Amino acid sequence: MDLHLSPAHLTFRDELRAWLRTNLQRPWRDELRDPAHTEDSLMELRRAWQRKLHEAGYLGMDWPREWGGRGATAVEKAIFEAEMAHADAPQILNTLGIGLLGPALIHHGSEEQRRRFIPPMLAGDEIWCQGFSEPGAGSDLASIKTSAVLDGDSFVLNGQKVWTTFGPWADWIFVLARTDPKDRYGGISFLLCKLDTPGVTVRPLRQMTGESEFGEVFFEDARVPREQLVGHTGEGWRIAMTVLAYERGAVGLAMANRFGRDLAELAAACRELGRTDTASREKLGRLVVENEVLRAAGVRMLATLAEGRAPGSESSLEKITWSEFDKRFRETALDLLGPGGQLLRHAPGARSEVDWAREYLWSRAGTIYSGSSEIQKNIIAKRVLGLPQDGR
Amino acid sequence: MRFALSEDQALLQRSTREFFAAEFPMEQNRRVMEHEPLGFERAAWSHVAEMGYLGLTVPAAQGGQGLGAIELAVVLEEAGRQCVPGPLLDAMLAATLLASGTGQDALLADVLAGRRLLTIARDEALYAGRGTAATTAAQGRVRGTKFFVPFAAAADALAVTTTDGVVVANGPFQTTALPTFDLSQRFAQVTLDSPATPLGAPALLGRIDLLASVGAGAMLLGIMSRMLEATVTYTQTRQAFGKPIAIFQALQHRMAEMLGRTESTRAAVYRAAWCLDHEDLETTLACAAAKAWAADAARLVCGEAIQMHGGIGFTWELDVHFYFKRAKTLEQHYGSTTVQLERALAAAGY
Repeated sequence: MDLHLSPAHLTFRDELRAWLRTNLQRPWRDELRDPAHTEDSLMELRRAWQRKLHEAGYLGMDWPREWGGRGATAVEKAIFEAEMAHADAPQILNTLGIGLLGPALIHHGSEEQRRRFIPPMLAGDEIWCQGFSEPGAGSDLASIKTSAVLDGDSFVLNGQKVWTTFGPWADWIFVLARTDPKDRYGGISFLLCKLDTPGVTVRPLRQMTGESEFGEVFFEDARVPREQLVGHTGEGWRIAMTVLAYERGAVGLAMANRFGRDLAELAAACRELGRTDTASREKLGRLVVENEVLRAAGVRMLATLAEGRAPGSESSLEKITWSEFDKRFRETALDLLGPGGQLLRHAPGARSEVDWAREYLWSRAGTIYSGSSEIQKNIIAKRVLGLPQDGR
Repeated sequence: MRFALSEDQALLQRSTREFFAAEFPMEQNRRVMEHEPLGFERAAWSHVAEMGYLGLTVPAAQGGQGLGAIELAVVLEEAGRQCVPGPLLDAMLAATLLASGTGQDALLADVLAGRRLLTIARDEALYAGRGTAATTAAQGRVRGTKFFVPFAAAADALAVTTTDGVVVANGPFQTTALPTFDLSQRFAQVTLDSPATPLGAPALLGRIDLLASVGAGAMLLGIMSRMLEATVTYTQTRQAFGKPIAIFQALQHRMAEMLGRTESTRAAVYRAAWCLDHEDLETTLACAAAKAWAADAARLVCGEAIQMHGGIGFTWELDVHFYFKRAKTLEQHYGSTTVQLERALAAAGY
């Protein structure tokens, strides 16, 4: 066992920290509490932050240099995420483009597609949203019905996508569409569609947080040029699976850093509010313990990557661990803060260290998106425990 | 960076697993737990001593193996998995404590060779929150009453915490057995009024507390691994409604949860051990978190094992109850969850 970062990784981390000290003006929480900000101005701030990272060579961490990436290792990518969380840096704007589509194009796209789409994706000039889920296809993603029929040099798209994160701010969407209604997995293709294409309508979808980061996208005879098919017809499912493995990534340590920061704020708030009775201390203590366990799991994941092993199903365990803890953490936080914890961001008397009310609501999303906890448990039961399958 | 065990550590793990499987088969463990009044057999104990386990974390210059908390965790995980009865953890901790004090070379040599048994007497009450430290050591005598002293009836000497520091008292002792539902462990109440020699300041216990957290956490981890294996195997054998019950999603998800608890415990315990060996700044927090988490996780995993075995899971005949009971002992001793939560909060500065 050796849990020390290697000298090269330490150098990488220290350079990144130094860069953050110079370039990160305000932590994200301070931006959020600034009453001058609107939802739009926060999005623009994220775009500007993305450009800064790009100029410094910190985007597309594990992509080949040839495609504008850094050519870094999975370990450096995880360290990068952990340090961003530690510093409370804003998220980049094009998370889905860079997080999901970039890898899809690098692995499965054509030379022309990479040349056309990757540079504006990295620069934040073209923002992408993800068209996977449909009203009738969530956990059972392969049951999508949006159809793509080849007509001359175009695919004609019809159907509806939902939970399209960033839909309202995006310029483009990558879509899983059915090119063969008879072949469940092999009848799915991966298409790129501009959102101002005639026949495409984007509607914001109001989330339980009151925000509209999500959207719905409707396709009515929308024509997508044939060159915007990624891979071959019928390869969409395979591409989507590659991409989703990237989405889960190695985020345990980053999450432990993020929760750890909020936990320190919660501890300070409890002191200030006089919540130092035994019952409150026990609740706080259990959160500290659980976050340390998450950190340990994150360190283990980092070491697994450093040994050159692909994490595989371990990323399912990691996702359950952090997202289920997020819910317990936010519940306990509101419990300890009392009714004041529900105050909206700019309400009189609202606490400013963390937007507790928003975090409480948001924690309900983590166990659903990117493969629900139930789907992760199916994966673990099948691939790790080797339990018999009943037609699933 | 590497989470996997080193070659030497992996070798220790293999040889320990083989040794325990050969020396402590479950039928024999059951016989010892049910019928041996001391809770272990002297013959098997000298084999344990011959393997060098008792001095695993004692410096080589003092006759031990000079190994660290990771190796301690490796051995105790296997002991937990195989349900090895007896004072293994207690004796390892006591030997380490003895080696960290002064003037006990002869006793240490005997302890490491398995000729004399030493455990640590600490608790001053039967129930939580009822004790105030009252055991004294003055004019060469230790006086007081200690509760839940591990394997006191078999102990030749005790390391005793007193208001005047840690002392060593030689037996025989006046003991009253405190039988609990866990047959892998024996406890007694000890009334002390015997000659004692000073070992050192209470600060000696700081490192022992951390080692105890890692050690107990590792045993809990071994217990969990075994219970998960047993459940995964049984549910694929047991048929209901014409199918192996493992096919039902209601059980699959719970077994996935058991795996999650087991693997997060593995990460926490071995990271804590590593921190302890490297004097990392996070050591106290990591050890407290590992033990507190392992205790809750093991209770859940063993409880789920009972539940998924159904009626047979509640019988004496099946081995599962021995593991379930031991998990509770390991939870309430070696730094209870209440104690660990306080340590975690203090270490985090909250």
